[in-house]
Amino acid sequence: MTTRLDGPEKVTGAALFPADVVRPDFLHAQIVFTDQPHARLVDLDVEPARAVPGVVEILTAADIPVNEYGLVFRDQPVLIGPGNELTAVAENISRWEADQLCVVIAENIEAARAGAAAIKVEWEELPILGDIDTSLQSTVMLHPENGLDTNAYHHLRIRKGDIDAGWSEADVVIEGTYEVPYQEHAFLQPEAAISYIDEEGRVTVEIAGQWTVEDQEQIAHALDLPTEAVRVKYPAIGGAFGGREDMSMQIVLAAAARKLAARGIRRPIRCQWSREESIVGHHKRHRGRIKARLGARRDGKIVAVEADCYLDAGGYNYTSNKVLGNLHLCVGGPYEIPNARIDSYAVYTNAVPGGAFRGFGAPQGAMVAETQMNKLALALDMDPIELRLLNSLRDGSMGITQAEMPLGVSLPFVIDAAANAASEEFQVGELRPVATLPSEESAIRRGRGFACGYKNVGFSFGFPERCEAAVELFGDDEVERAILYHGAAEVGQGSHTALRQMAAMAIGIDYERVETVYSDTATSGDSGSASASRLTWMSGNSILGAVEEATKKWNDGERPARGEFRFVPPPTQTLDPVTGAGQPNFAYGYVAEVVDLSVDIETGHIRVDRVICANDVGRVINRTLVEGQVEGAIVQAHGYAITEDLQVKDARITNPRLSAYLIPGIDDIPAEIRTILLEHPDPRGPWGVRGMAEMPLVPYAAAVVAALHDATGVWFHQLPLTPSRVLAGLTANPL
Amino acid sequence: MKIALTVNGRKVGGELEPRTLLVHYIRENLNLTGTHIGCETSYCGACTVIMDGRPVKSCTVLAVGADGADIMTIEGLARDGQLHPVQEGFWERHGLQCGYCTPGMIMAAVGLLEQNNNPSEDEIRHGIEGNLCRCTGYHNIVKAIEYASAKMRGEQPAPAEWEVTA
Ligand code: FES
Ligand code: FES
Repeated sequence: MTTRLDGPEKVTGAALFPADVVRPDFLHAQIVFTDQPHARLVDLDVEPARAVPGVVEILTAADIPVNEYGLVFRDQPVLIGPGNELTAVAENISRWEADQLCVVIAENIEAARAGAAAIKVEWEELPILGDIDTSLQSTVMLHPENGLDTNAYHHLRIRKGDIDAGWSEADVVIEGTYEVPYQEHAFLQPEAAISYIDEEGRVTVEIAGQWTVEDQEQIAHALDLPTEAVRVKYPAIGGAFGGREDMSMQIVLAAAARKLAARGIRRPIRCQWSREESIVGHHKRHRGRIKARLGARRDGKIVAVEADCYLDAGGYNYTSNKVLGNLHLCVGGPYEIPNARIDSYAVYTNAVPGGAFRGFGAPQGAMVAETQMNKLALALDMDPIELRLLNSLRDGSMGITQAEMPLGVSLPFVIDAAANAASEEFQVGELRPVATLPSEESAIRRGRGFACGYKNVGFSFGFPERCEAAVELFGDDEVERAILYHGAAEVGQGSHTALRQMAAMAIGIDYERVETVYSDTATSGDSGSASASRLTWMSGNSILGAVEEATKKWNDGERPARGEFRFVPPPTQTLDPVTGAGQPNFAYGYVAEVVDLSVDIETGHIRVDRVICANDVGRVINRTLVEGQVEGAIVQAHGYAITEDLQVKDARITNPRLSAYLIPGIDDIPAEIRTILLEHPDPRGPWGVRGMAEMPLVPYAAAVVAALHDATGVWFHQLPLTPSRVLAGLTANPL
Repeated sequence: MKIALTVNGRKVGGELEPRTLLVHYIRENLNLTGTHIGCETSYCGACTVIMDGRPVKSCTVLAVGADGADIMTIEGLARDGQLHPVQEGFWERHGLQCGYCTPGMIMAAVGLLEQNNNPSEDEIRHGIEGNLCRCTGYHNIVKAIEYASAKMRGEQPAPAEWEVTA
């Protein structure tokens, strides 16, 4: 078993996270948030801050040459204030409480904070569109530059088959409206970075991110620089989960280093966010509302699906249109659906932006689709497993977007594996003692729930997908050692270990003989992001290509032999605007879960006793890393389903603390997680690998909802299932 | 104010602002940045160090409160290039992913094992309930500590599941 490459430095404290570089010549930066969910800047006076002893420089909108950014489209000013007027988006309007107003750079952090406090700012308050409903009803447009007369700025449709014919064929119809909540990433390492001008004159940012080249390009765009003039480097990254996919302090710190350099000050700048700044200052998993209808014949065959989905995008798009697309694909479930009508909307509001978070729309979709399926099974008096197998997508099936599923559809296998493990190994009721629940057995009810799911691997909907690798082979007759150059971000998932293993496998030498150079735009190409369960899949393919190139040169006698390769998977398509037809993805992962839980009907406390997760990973490259992803994803899903309750009032987050936003601690987690890894090769994956790291998060909440229904007879349509929500639901529906 | 204390066996000290937190003193003044900050409000445990034999969250202690104390941080744990059994356990049993919580987890585990060299699974869970991890799901952390506890008692750690099934 190959242990983690980064293990020794991480267990000795030697690993350097972005905040861990301490240099005496540092300057310190404090980023000032507008603290205005919706307001027009009337006047900004930074002169009082300049007068604060120790303050060196202040960065404002005027210092950002092209004051706009955004991962998919550029709808957000880097800094709010009068800028250079090169942007479509109005620069002087704050649309989010954590829009950034300016950056104070000082000799020490106390001076930077004092400077920030001295800034004088006057706002004209604008109507706050605090949630989806308010925003849909308002005549105030948050982004008038897009020319639309609605804040529902992105609309996706599916029109498949004949929906009216479908309903007339339906013997049973299930309806439900679901409220899905925000989720905060709560990576343990709050945002931090340093910036400086490097020895080759490049403005350099060392930060924890997910995609070096994307960070580099966004900085270059806003600073109006060629990309080569910008360098992005990742030191150790303290978790990401999608929460570092968008910019936090990359652009402003790069701009600050340039501004100081222009004054002849060549000192590195350091910036760190507190936990509160981190929670307020970056995007969340989207909250939303989904109204769904599911129709089936008496024999269990699905004949119709309808859904209206709304996601709260917040003040800016981030990746909302893509997350919406995934929800759109998942809300009907991984089933053969002959007739469908689905309308999905992303809505601008003044609340915190929604964006990437492990699962990327699929967890919201699965919560709806799988709860609907579980209700259908009950209405038909049919085994929920049988119902799934009857309708499951298979090789050759048409997906919901009228395109054939990429080959290797293994949903029936994961369903079988999870169901078999549950019935063979565990009977409901034979449980370990439940330590944290009160001892009166009478109040405890137990239940079991099932759910399954799918999620794409890699970028979707025509977003350009690629992954680059370079490999150098050294030796005489035989390859004695090799160097792999790769941009892949090590966010904790173990990519740097797995990539090195794959390079060794591709070259045919020992793991120990492969050196690796990672995550620095100065040495590595474009890996694409550590997201969408794509990194092992895409990187493996890029490594195979690079090794093939290098081997050709090796055989031609070149020493060392260097091979470079850019892997491009089959193209994907944007969906047809009217029918939603198109091939959105080139690969999928499949998962099924069984949850056994106990609930105390007097307190509403849920304890998950056991989770069985069957995940088809195609080919295991490193078993413990893969199992670690499953366990970590399930515990995050547990937080999503039960404990994590982000409070937002008038578009402001009111509990941005780990003491009030409760991620699972060791006392909260499922008592037992049984991981079943299947290896049905993905025909396009390297060595058959499938993407896997998001999948276990996808069906968990729906499985919990089903188990809770099994235990209490009550369906819950809203997450998280906190004790007070459970109690309220039980009181409203007496047993 | 002037303080003098021992950190990882080394005498350190000097003048500092009375309101400096121990965690900042350790990180900024001593440049021992293995002790991490995840919340600064006593909730996550990333800043755990051993102070006079007991694990403490160093963001809850003023540096002046550590005057005269004997402190060990993650950097002081390995001896002569030999990993401490708890460090070895976290590596061998995959008790870490991003590694940000890891130094605090390890110090909490070291503190636990110093009090109780043969903890039950429940006692291990209790020993680290003040430490958050967002990556691992905790199961491998428990296994890592069980590994260390066996090693420290001079026993052979139980084989990992993958060693049994492989
Ligand atoms: S930083 Fe001290 S407990 Fe979180
Ligand atoms: S390993 Fe990332 S927080 Fe524990």
